[in-house]
Amino acid sequence: MSALGKARSWLEERIGLSALVALAREKRVPVHRHSLWYYLGGMTLFLFGIQVVTGILLLLYYRPSSGEAFESVQFVMARVPFGWLIRSIHSWSANLLVFVVFVHMFSVFFLRAYRKPRELTWLSGMLLLFLMLAFGFSGYLLPWNTLAFFATQVGTEVAGRVPVVGGFALRLLRGGDQVTGGTLTRFYGFHVAVLPAMTTLLLGAHLLLVQRHGMSVPPSVEAEAQRTGKPPRDLPFLPGFLLRDAVGWCVALGTLAALAAFLPWELGIKADPFAPAPAGIRPEWYFCWMFETLKLLPGRVLGVDGELIGILAFGLGALVWTLIPFLDGEKGGERLRRALVLAGLLALAYMAAMTVVAYLPGRH
Amino acid sequence: MRTCFGALALLAWAGVAPAAEPPHAKASPAPKSSCIECHSQLDGEAAEPVKHAADDVHFQQGLSCHDCHGGNPDSEPDDVVAAHDEKKGWNRPTRLTIPLFCAKCHADAAFMKRFDPMARVDQLAEYRTSMHGRRNATGDAKVAVCIDCHGVHGIKAVKDPSAPVHHTHVAETCGRCHANAELMRPYGLPATEPAAYKSSVHARALYEKGDLAAPTCNNCHGSHGAAPPGLQSVVQVCGSCHGREATLFREVEKKKGLNLAPCIQCMVCHDNHAVQAPTDEMIGVGPKSTCTTCHGPSDPPYRSAELMAASLERLKVRHAEASDLLARAGRAGIEVGADQVALQKASDQIVELRVLAHSFDRERYLAAAGAGLATVEVGVAAGERAFRELRQRRLGLAVSLVVIAAVIAGLLFKIRDMEGPRPEP
Amino acid sequence: MATRRGFLNWFLGTSAGAMCAAVVYPMLRYLVPPQLPEAETTRTVAAREGELKLGEARVFPFGGRPALLIRTAEGEYRAVSATCTHLNCTVQYRGDLKTIWCACHNGMYDLTGRNVGGPPPRPLESYKVDVTRGDIVVSKA
Repeated sequence: MSALGKARSWLEERIGLSALVALAREKRVPVHRHSLWYYLGGMTLFLFGIQVVTGILLLLYYRPSSGEAFESVQFVMARVPFGWLIRSIHSWSANLLVFVVFVHMFSVFFLRAYRKPRELTWLSGMLLLFLMLAFGFSGYLLPWNTLAFFATQVGTEVAGRVPVVGGFALRLLRGGDQVTGGTLTRFYGFHVAVLPAMTTLLLGAHLLLVQRHGMSVPPSVEAEAQRTGKPPRDLPFLPGFLLRDAVGWCVALGTLAALAAFLPWELGIKADPFAPAPAGIRPEWYFCWMFETLKLLPGRVLGVDGELIGILAFGLGALVWTLIPFLDGEKGGERLRRALVLAGLLALAYMAAMTVVAYLPGRH
Repeated sequence: MRTCFGALALLAWAGVAPAAEPPHAKASPAPKSSCIECHSQLDGEAAEPVKHAADDVHFQQGLSCHDCHGGNPDSEPDDVVAAHDEKKGWNRPTRLTIPLFCAKCHADAAFMKRFDPMARVDQLAEYRTSMHGRRNATGDAKVAVCIDCHGVHGIKAVKDPSAPVHHTHVAETCGRCHANAELMRPYGLPATEPAAYKSSVHARALYEKGDLAAPTCNNCHGSHGAAPPGLQSVVQVCGSCHGREATLFREVEKKKGLNLAPCIQCMVCHDNHAVQAPTDEMIGVGPKSTCTTCHGPSDPPYRSAELMAASLERLKVRHAEASDLLARAGRAGIEVGADQVALQKASDQIVELRVLAHSFDRERYLAAAGAGLATVEVGVAAGERAFRELRQRRLGLAVSLVVIAAVIAGLLFKIRDMEGPRPEP
Repeated sequence: MATRRGFLNWFLGTSAGAMCAAVVYPMLRYLVPPQLPEAETTRTVAAREGELKLGEARVFPFGGRPALLIRTAEGEYRAVSATCTHLNCTVQYRGDLKTIWCACHNGMYDLTGRNVGGPPPRPLESYKVDVTRGDIVVSKA
């Protein structure tokens, strides 16, 4: 036996990888007019992987204290070889990741891939989406610049308005009553330890579930297959689907490199907690639609604080959205499905429109 | 007089209050005496002396009415005659005699030393040299005497922030007379100086920025010896703070054998009371130039002024360009911190040029401008280097994009090769 | 067909290898610590021993602002902020007067940074100086 063969059989007796490889070889991906959407899951995973790698590199130089955070990021950008590249990629990829995770979620929604038996996949996916938003919110503060400082102040302020638990939540997030260096250290802990741990567990579960159930075929394609009697074509995961995945990943990598070189992420000005808030504070773009909505709500509605209604509405909306698989069960009729699709389209349109509104000139 | 001294000496020796009491410490009640007991029960003008006794620095030091006015502090209550006993030295000074009255103690070195070892005792001598003092000596009772500035019975120490002679109140105190046109007219003085001072950069520094180093009336005119500085002395006066400019100015007089006194020195360009912050437009031959006040286009100094202004302008423009270049490079992610600090030296050199204007020396000025320009050019070179690095980054990116494109092409062809030319998503 | 496939495999392999190198190379360079191991806001090397003569001083950048390193006539090193507390001119060391002097309005400071003459209202911030292995290290006290 060759050396390689000996090594393989040694590993085989101990790890038994061949079983896994066989499983991977068996996996097949259906091919139909909607199967392009299948790539989004892998793209999200790839971008998350980029975040982990660039994040780990950044934390070798980053200092989570209000006196040194800004300077350490400046140091990475200016002095560390290729630091500008790693940091800009991390920032851009974060935004791309949030965008792709939303597209992934909406595509799963509209293709109704959350139906039985994939309810738990949907659930874990929604939780992962919330975790990605938490990553974005906590990470945004870490460079400790003016925009981030005040955006965090506004964001945690809103969290504090939730009835009953709001005050506690605000203090838990801020590490005190105000946004201070303590908040920074706490957010750093969330960003590099707590959230990654939770993500690892949920992501593991999510991926296992996807492997267990295979790729969902949209109802329209299933119906068509039943009609014509032809089952949908499929593609082996290895190597066909994976190679196509790789093409997407290479495009993403190239895009990130281009963004890092042509639109490097700005450093901003170091945060000064005692300076007045500058005009035009707003949170990151993916929170803007909520921010704009809260601003549009009238001061009081039926005797209740307008913003509070907004916050509760978002909370309720998120809850309902997360529980969609249980609402759209097998028992639901065609009308319910159409209503859900309409609701989904409206939600998507609303979010997109409000995001655009936030960036209109003169808005801030 | 001797009785007064005796009483004073006794009291002082009794050590009623320590000499080094801070002037704004809690006001101690005035020492008991029949003067105070009686006068505090009277109305109107007679009660005035006792009203502010608690604030008065003399009372705080343990002195009382009779220490200045004489009389009998131990007389029976209601016995006015005994209290105001002239044989015991009771007297009430007139306006003209007040300087001598206060000097009884304040010009006595041995006496003052008991209260403040560093006390000056030359106030009367200074006063005699001042315009106020000279007119007082000729019998003019309208000019300022001690009590006009210091107050009469509630006299506070100079260091007390609420005293009328505290640094922050001097202009107000002088202005009580010097801003009054009616009062000033007989002396031929315009009553505009206090207002002019209020508009000046010195007043802004003192009142708005709270800079106690900023000058007020007495810093230039003297306090007891108040008089306008003589023509020879203007540069001396301004030079007490603006040392470098004054030194340069005096060098000019020596070097060029000029007598600049007729030009009243600093005042030609800078005014005396309404001093404004100088601008770069004062150098040169433009509309706001002060050089052209005296020098016409046919004078050689006119040409010097032109050249000097031009070199300053060039330096400022190039400095702004260098700063901007470095700032943009910094924002684009290139390290320029050290270069920016090095460029700060050029800012110092621009300040130096503004000072050197007072040398009126073209060669020296242009040489300094040249040095500043050299610093700035280093900054510009650093900025250009930063942008070169930026271009290198983009080149590196282009190369990696080519590689990625090759990989993508390879993948696509591989897929096609493996699965045949059927269109697959 | 076989040679085409072979070429394709070679092409894909090589370009993928180049891409991996293009990804790994920056990461490796990044991991190697740069010349200065940390951002110099609180600590910097102002000079090396022997660069300053006795009684000489030098302005050096520290935390984005100018600072003054003085080698006194007795050979001791002192460091203070070089920004005058009056109107922000850059101060200088006067060996002849053994004081720190501000040319703008004749401000004077002693070698600990205390304002001892002229208009400056506050002392200059004083920094800690350590000499280790031939480096004069200045750090914020």
